[in-house]
Amino acid sequence: MTKTSASMVKTEKAAEPNRVKETEPIAAIAAMIRQESKAGKLISASEILRRGAAQKISPTPAAGPAEEAGNILRKVVDENEDLHELAAEDSSRSYYSSQFMTGAYAGILLQKQGDPLRLIAEIVRQNSAAYPRPVPLDLFTQPPFGLALQDVLNDLERMSVRDEYRDIEPTTTSTSRVFLYSTLHLDSEHASMLAEWFDVGQSNNP
Amino acid sequence: MVKYGGWAGKVLRVDLSTGRTWTEDTVEKYKDYLGGTGIGYKVMWDEVPPGTKPHDADNPLVFAVGPLAGTGAPCNGRMAVTTLWPTCWPKPLVASGHMGGQFAAKLKYAGYDALVIQGRADRPVWLSIVDRKVEVQDARRLWGQGIRKATEAITQITGPEVVVAAIGQAGENLVPMSVAISSVSHSAGGIGSVMGSKNLKAIAVCGTGSVRIAGDKEEWEKLIKYHLSLLGANNQHVVPNSPQPWAEFYEPRSRWVGSGGNVWGAATRRLDTGSCDPHDLNRIAYRTNNAAYFMGEIAWQYTVRGNGCTSCPIRCHTLMKVPALSTKYGIPEVGQNTCSGLNFGRAFFKKFSDGPRGMTNVEACMVGIHLADDLGVWCNYSQMQRDFQKLYYEGFIKKKLGEKEFKSYSWDKYEKGDPSFLFELIPRIASKEGELGTALGLGTGYLLERWSIPEEAWGKDKELAYWKMGHPKHHSTEDAGQCGLLVNLPYNRDAQCHSHSNFVRNGLPLAVQKRLATEVWGSPDAVDAVGAYTPMNPFKARMAKWSLLRKELHDSLSLCNWMGPWVASPLKERGYRGDDSVESMLYSLATGDKKNRQELDHAAERIFTLHRALTIRDTGTREMRARHDTIPEWVFTDKSGKAPFTKGTTHMDRNDIKAAIDMFYEEMGWDRASGAPTSQTYSKLGLERVAEDLKKRNLIP
Repeated sequence: MTKTSASMVKTEKAAEPNRVKETEPIAAIAAMIRQESKAGKLISASEILRRGAAQKISPTPAAGPAEEAGNILRKVVDENEDLHELAAEDSSRSYYSSQFMTGAYAGILLQKQGDPLRLIAEIVRQNSAAYPRPVPLDLFTQPPFGLALQDVLNDLERMSVRDEYRDIEPTTTSTSRVFLYSTLHLDSEHASMLAEWFDVGQSNNP
Repeated sequence: MVKYGGWAGKVLRVDLSTGRTWTEDTVEKYKDYLGGTGIGYKVMWDEVPPGTKPHDADNPLVFAVGPLAGTGAPCNGRMAVTTLWPTCWPKPLVASGHMGGQFAAKLKYAGYDALVIQGRADRPVWLSIVDRKVEVQDARRLWGQGIRKATEAITQITGPEVVVAAIGQAGENLVPMSVAISSVSHSAGGIGSVMGSKNLKAIAVCGTGSVRIAGDKEEWEKLIKYHLSLLGANNQHVVPNSPQPWAEFYEPRSRWVGSGGNVWGAATRRLDTGSCDPHDLNRIAYRTNNAAYFMGEIAWQYTVRGNGCTSCPIRCHTLMKVPALSTKYGIPEVGQNTCSGLNFGRAFFKKFSDGPRGMTNVEACMVGIHLADDLGVWCNYSQMQRDFQKLYYEGFIKKKLGEKEFKSYSWDKYEKGDPSFLFELIPRIASKEGELGTALGLGTGYLLERWSIPEEAWGKDKELAYWKMGHPKHHSTEDAGQCGLLVNLPYNRDAQCHSHSNFVRNGLPLAVQKRLATEVWGSPDAVDAVGAYTPMNPFKARMAKWSLLRKELHDSLSLCNWMGPWVASPLKERGYRGDDSVESMLYSLATGDKKNRQELDHAAERIFTLHRALTIRDTGTREMRARHDTIPEWVFTDKSGKAPFTKGTTHMDRNDIKAAIDMFYEEMGWDRASGAPTSQTYSKLGLERVAEDLKKRNLIP
């Protein structure tokens, strides 16, 4: 308890020099979004409002009606070309700066906040469509996905019995590595050949 | 005032038979051939009569660099070594090996664009080049030593500024599958025995000079930064292997493996590579870790740092420190190499008990590096290891070796994937000990001949990757369909061309690749998705010609074709465009000889065509299409029975390939029926005297 209090005091003290003038709320929020993007993170609307309140950005969005908060965030995005708003499935909003983060990466982070089954399916479909290529299952255990291997395996099992994911298929290489592909974009023999090429062929043909 | 920058101005000639040394003027004699392989082919054409053998005293070794070697141009550390190739079967023909490291720059700083060594010393010698002082030194005490000891011994005499290129016991014993190695790990494959045949143990070079840049210095620095901004990771992979905040795309098999959280675990201070934003030009070296690329995640903890060549920020030779090596195998804990050199040891084995990316794999790689890079054994782009696996598992070795010799190997260790097996095998190759050691050291073509195995048997087996003339494919149909196939036709060893494969493996989505292909080769149809090939078209032929000319251009300027060309970049704001003119911009500013892209490509075509002329003259036939540009049977077969041009197969259609060769010859100005350049083509390239010579020999179509 004492530790938490000390930490909070430190945070507040550290924020003192950065306390925002009442006339600069938009610039302050923009800076907040950029700072998070630079650190490789999205920032949600609710987090912006919470920090805004803590930093006494005025007019304090958290203290005003939701509509006012929404207007301010919209204004932040409209007035800064590099700032973008993303809407999640549950209609919650997140923000990023394209100075530090691409839309593609921000999209992954947004999907990661939602349903992991959908995340896996969308990533697999994107790769199968655009390159085209299957992706190794272990991709999802690495950053920025950072899912536990067992969770990915469980997710795939759940996906295998759901209609909306029936296009997601596995293929296994000669080294027993599992790759995933979407039958919407790759047929099984092509996917299998490509998986073997990525897993074994490219290393043997450096 | 010297007219041109870039070139050092002199070619150093050494006759080991007489001990005589002299120089020639580079610009006067070789300017039209730029440098590198251009000088190599010119020397071979002018001075080496057909019928000369690789180990004859009259076969020269041409160590040659280009006008960009030793400058600040990125990736300029390539030394081309041209000679008659000992493993070229059934008849040795001209070819080149390419050594990275610091040797190329040092030769320039000593004042030379090339070193041509001919003759044969009457005793083991090493060559000392310190600026204008060139001495042939006694190497009798070094003979029989490995490359590391020989290098250390010479360095103790000359000082640490010197770069030594040495051969090991394999080269001394005239094993054709042998290398020269400089700076610990940078090898020129295939030339070790040619040095050995000249009794030349090593070359040590050091210079205190510099390379003059003819153009405006600020322009030059601006151009260097521009070129650096276009670089990707090793092999010009321009996207990272996992999603990064700055990246729009990623490719799990990219060699751009640096990302936040990946740590050089054996560095003095553990170093996080960071996310490697391409705009940070001071962190390019953190993008590549080829040990991690080939060995997997396990390699990060043993990584000390990346190592590499002069003026190259890519550092593709990963320096590893694996403490277990000293106690388990009695070898140094530290080793470094890249690609086939890194995989030398592990490639002999079919499997390891802990899987393909476990600790045993790491140990096999490190043991292989230790042995091969000291004894100086060459792998021929891993063909030696593929041959070995096939020969063992299909019973050839048991059949061809006497019982005593067969039992002298621990085959149980081999089958289990025990890296200590390599201590039984590799030294015997280097010393030609026994039937197996001798046969493996010959190279594939001569091995097959010795063991009465028809070449066709190798050509049918896709997994073997054998192409022709004793050598494997090097990025053929698996990488770029018909273009890859065409690239593998004209050389007398494996093609070593990366122009096409670096593009198709760059990691960009197909739509972006097709957009860039339209800009460079005129149509999106120049490239296909991997394993979804479409029939031949003229744009693929154009891409093949471009790929080969860029390779020769790089080999002649001393740029690294393992890194370039730079027609794609990691820069979203450029639409991922690179710049196909960067070579001509560098050349023009460095030398003062202003040439645009087309004009410099013209010079590259001259060089490439001279290689073709040499091949025709020395084979004594103009029937290149039928007798030289041959294709192994595996290219036309697929185990699954899938038809060509169906998705999921890389095999080709015979009629389509006939059309592909027609189109390629047309692009090159070579006669369709024979594959030999026409008189007009030679004339167009300023090779009239070459054409006259060939005409006298009835070798012009």
